[in-house]
Amino acid sequence: MTESTITRPAPRRLTVWGLLGALLLTLGGCTEKQPLYQQQLLALGTLIDISIYGSDETTAQTAIKEVQGQMEQLHHNWHPWQPGKLMEINRKLAAGEEAALDDEGRFLINRGMTLSQQSGNLFNPAVGGLIRLWGFHSDDWSGKQPPAAADIATQVAAHPQMSALTLEEHRLRSQNPAVTLDLGAYAKGYAVDIAIKTLRQHGINNAIVNAGGNLRLIGSKGKQPWRIGIRDPRGTGVIASLESNSDEAVITSGDYERYFEHQGQRYHHIIDPRSGYPARGVIATTVIAADGLTADAASTALFIAGPDHWYQVAQAMGIKEAMLIDEHGTVHITRALMQRIHFEQKPAPTIHLVD
Amino acid sequence: MFKRADYVVIFFALLLLPYLYVTLWGNGSYGEQVTIRIANQPPQHYSLYDNRRITIEGVLGDNLIEIKGGQVRFIEAPCQNKLCIQSGWLRHDGELAACLPNGVTVSVSGRDNRFDAINF
Repeated sequence: MTESTITRPAPRRLTVWGLLGALLLTLGGCTEKQPLYQQQLLALGTLIDISIYGSDETTAQTAIKEVQGQMEQLHHNWHPWQPGKLMEINRKLAAGEEAALDDEGRFLINRGMTLSQQSGNLFNPAVGGLIRLWGFHSDDWSGKQPPAAADIATQVAAHPQMSALTLEEHRLRSQNPAVTLDLGAYAKGYAVDIAIKTLRQHGINNAIVNAGGNLRLIGSKGKQPWRIGIRDPRGTGVIASLESNSDEAVITSGDYERYFEHQGQRYHHIIDPRSGYPARGVIATTVIAADGLTADAASTALFIAGPDHWYQVAQAMGIKEAMLIDEHGTVHITRALMQRIHFEQKPAPTIHLVD
Repeated sequence: MFKRADYVVIFFALLLLPYLYVTLWGNGSYGEQVTIRIANQPPQHYSLYDNRRITIEGVLGDNLIEIKGGQVRFIEAPCQNKLCIQSGWLRHDGELAACLPNGVTVSVSGRDNRFDAINF
């Protein structure tokens, strides 16, 4: 190229390249990298996925490391039958002795008592014996069979309920030696509350902590709200989605999380304390509440209550936004949740609006 | 009537057309990216159209994951229940399969990455 060919058409070339450049910049803007930091932890026997928006990486990493430590501590302290605080409490209660609680233990057991009472004992953390009999905490379910009917009947007949407990200050007693505490039905909801609290202490105001079906979020993703998908209980896709930019928990309980099949029958981990067997008639429940602990307990209670009684139990527990998917795939949903949820599948499922 | 510069503009405009078509009119429900999340490790990202097999070292052992023809699946898992393998092929935005005992999840996200988290 000679000097003259470069200089002569310069003004027009500049315009052309300028226009193209501007166009490419605009297109590039759509895929601009967001300041989103994501990390996954394995704790509490599940995967905990943390997304943080708008904080620098060092802050995010430091905070997540602290969360990891807390989750391991929670697992250690409150595991029902591995040496820890809860095992010691259970040993004392079974022996008819008084158990001393720390602040966290007092909080957890006190909330468990209140929520159990509100749910009419459908949410029942006192059935640790029954849960252990079923053995859903183990990872190995190959060739697993349901426990002997007589053993289940014995556990149910002993009526282990939270109402047998008396809590005075930090002292806990039980009138029923059959009470064995298992916090599994609300521990993960509590865990996401703790994780969010820790992130906040590190100055993080936009985050999602998702421990499988137990999710709590704060803030938003910049100018956009967080978008949450709720998994199709009988597929790999998303059945419904919702947006959120406030501090709340979205908790799903499903029969597909932990289960085994024996002689063509599915045995999942949500045990009805009245029968001693996995609750029937429901495949998933989703509850939205201000905190994870309450939403987790409620999602279990509604699952056990079943399609006919779930709404009464939701009201008794102060839950406004909830849905239940029954064994036929019909979605039973409160009006408050219906107003903000979007069904992702075509055709949309049969919807039974309740209010 | 047309100057050389006009042809340049027209040429690039035509070149952009397929890209714009796919970006603006493409089916958002089909996935484009595979994200493999591994406990205590950074996530790994792959194109859903880049056929390959990936070995992931998880907590218990190795997961073998296959990406083929716009789909992804688990083909080997060290866990007892093999729920992740039973999940089969994933291809749509938001689909997810998990090998929880091994701390590995595979998810598909679309162009517009519609979900920040999946409640499962």
